[in-house]
Amino acid sequence: MTRIWPLLVALSKDWLRNREAVFFAFLFPVILLLIFSAVFGAGPSQFTLYVQNNDLGSDGSATNLSTSFVDALEEVSALQIHSIESGRNITEWSRQRGSAGAARVVVIPDGFTDQVRAGSRQARRSVILDTLSRAGNQINQTNQARIRQRANTTINGTNATGPAEISFLSASDDQAAPAIRGVLSSVLARFNLNAMGVETPPTTIVSEDLGRQNLDGVDYYLPALIAAVVMINGLITLPALLAELKGDGTFKRLTATPLRKRDWILANVLQQSVLALLITGMMVGVAHLAFGVTVIPGPLASGLILLGAITFTGFGMVLGSLVDGSDAATSLGMAIALPMMFVSGVFWELDMMPEYLQTVATLTPIYHFHHGLRQLMVLDTTHGVIVPFAILGIGALIALVLAVRVTQWRDL
Amino acid sequence: MTAEATDPVIATSNLTKIYGKTTAVEDVSFEVHPNEIFALVGPNGAGKTTTVEILECLRTPTSGVARVLGYDVSKESRAIKQRIGVVPQSFHTFDRLTVRENVTLARQMYETGSDPDEVLTQLDLSEYADTRFANLSGGYQRRTGIAMALVSDPDVLFLDEPTTGLDPAARRSTWEEIERLTEFGTTVVLTTHYMEEVEELADRAALLVDGEIVAVDAVANLVETYGGDVKLVVSPADDHCAEIEASLRDVATDVYQDDTGNLVGIFDDRYAAQEAFGQVLDIEGEHSIELTGAGMEDVFLQLAGGTVGRSGDLQ
Repeated sequence: MTRIWPLLVALSKDWLRNREAVFFAFLFPVILLLIFSAVFGAGPSQFTLYVQNNDLGSDGSATNLSTSFVDALEEVSALQIHSIESGRNITEWSRQRGSAGAARVVVIPDGFTDQVRAGSRQARRSVILDTLSRAGNQINQTNQARIRQRANTTINGTNATGPAEISFLSASDDQAAPAIRGVLSSVLARFNLNAMGVETPPTTIVSEDLGRQNLDGVDYYLPALIAAVVMINGLITLPALLAELKGDGTFKRLTATPLRKRDWILANVLQQSVLALLITGMMVGVAHLAFGVTVIPGPLASGLILLGAITFTGFGMVLGSLVDGSDAATSLGMAIALPMMFVSGVFWELDMMPEYLQTVATLTPIYHFHHGLRQLMVLDTTHGVIVPFAILGIGALIALVLAVRVTQWRDL
Repeated sequence: MTAEATDPVIATSNLTKIYGKTTAVEDVSFEVHPNEIFALVGPNGAGKTTTVEILECLRTPTSGVARVLGYDVSKESRAIKQRIGVVPQSFHTFDRLTVRENVTLARQMYETGSDPDEVLTQLDLSEYADTRFANLSGGYQRRTGIAMALVSDPDVLFLDEPTTGLDPAARRSTWEEIERLTEFGTTVVLTTHYMEEVEELADRAALLVDGEIVAVDAVANLVETYGGDVKLVVSPADDHCAEIEASLRDVATDVYQDDTGNLVGIFDDRYAAQEAFGQVLDIEGEHSIELTGAGMEDVFLQLAGGTVGRSGDLQ
């Protein structure tokens, strides 16, 4: 065990003097942080939506009702509305704009106003007749007949054959289309209530942040980025470094000394774990200074980061022992780390993925790693973090045992 | 069980190493005595490195027994590694650590040893103590390797191809360092394909060809037994031909004049030839003298049926 410390110091010095390794080890997390901050830190996302209003009055201008519908769409902060001139062929318009962003179009049909009015009268008649039938025993027959007649006259002269149909056109591969369709349905529901004369809906939604208040998108992504960087450092960077030491004969010379295999593994795992903590500290510092991020890892989160670092560097030792050549080691690390990173929900919500992939995600250590960090750093709760601690603890143990088993100390 | 002072430092018996279908070393048996420089000689692929790596506990023998300092290489590697120093073929260490840092790290891997700075001084490396390993020339890198191997005061030092790739000056300097090691009681085992290195350094040598030992003995004995005749070719100056011929006949087994008029003396061994060489030099006049034959090259030619080129390949 006394050989671990001098080896740890030597490995650290050798690494810290490697300008390229240091530059990329610290630059990569900063680049990730900047990209995610730029994408998610500048307020909520907006979807572009084109509107073609074909409901024109006799003077050729848009009718009041169709205009108020477009106004209702423009009030939705998640939508950025652009108009298409009425009467234009949408297929041709779509072809002409080529690949300039997703083409999502709402078409308000000619006669929209008439259909809405007729539909609203019919709806009102239904409400009156329904109310009459429910309260019939409290109104005498004469009055009932009068009300029924008045209700029927409201729909006289209308040619409504059904509800007004607004078309929503989108590409079949547009991932955002379902979300926009949901927004449109919500706007239409409100519009329909207004058409019925209901100004204040009986039910509304009040949104509040869970956990810490007033957090930006960067705050939510920081735990995930920390988990991703720790994993990449362990599974991609470390195996390449080990393969380099194996390739140039440094490792072989060490095996000819009384150094024990377990001491070599522990020294590497400790060195890389300390490095992971340093990189995490740097990421938090940059995020705080540049983007005002307020989620700082506390003792428990730091402990989880250390445990994650030990787990992934342990598995990195295993990978580094399995292959020769730093290129092969990097490729193997990437083949394992990248799919795991994308499947685990580090960069997007699991709800967006198919159910079977969500199940797969829960089987990966990175999922539990960033989930635990999010609980501790963003939601400010220790509830359920025993699971990430247990899984990473067991993972670290398995990784270290495996590393001892597969690292060859003879017959290299 | 450890070795007595008179026991061989290394003893192998029917050592065999097989990789898949390839037999790298077959039935190799030899002994290395305390405080000697022992050379494993042979062309590339002869099994030299495999043999020393078994002795360094870096490879497991397929069969046979090897003991180093009385310890079994297969079962007692920890005890052996504590008392040996190793400079592998193509030696390399941490590029971005300085010479002193690398030697200090090597010292820290052992329970006992010397002061790293003393070893650096001993190997004339003090000037480069604060130079990073990657910035050293090939010769100084190799010397750093020797320093790292010596800092633990090993009883046995293994040098695998210690001068391959070095320029003549660096090679000569390395030879001097190796010769000095025996003054400190260190036993040296080296592998090489340079025959002049064996002649210069080794007390005894084992010749390996295709994984088998074809001869093992003191270098002088090998040359005497397998080296053949030694020739001294003299191109006499002025009218000293008769005088030189008489001088040669005092020591040579045969003397004759070749087609170009040169006098050729045939000797049993190199020592007799060297004596005659001195006598000819004492004769007045500027004579051209050339000593040929009977070195390890001849031994190898005799035993392996070929010579080993500078690249290490059998020709």
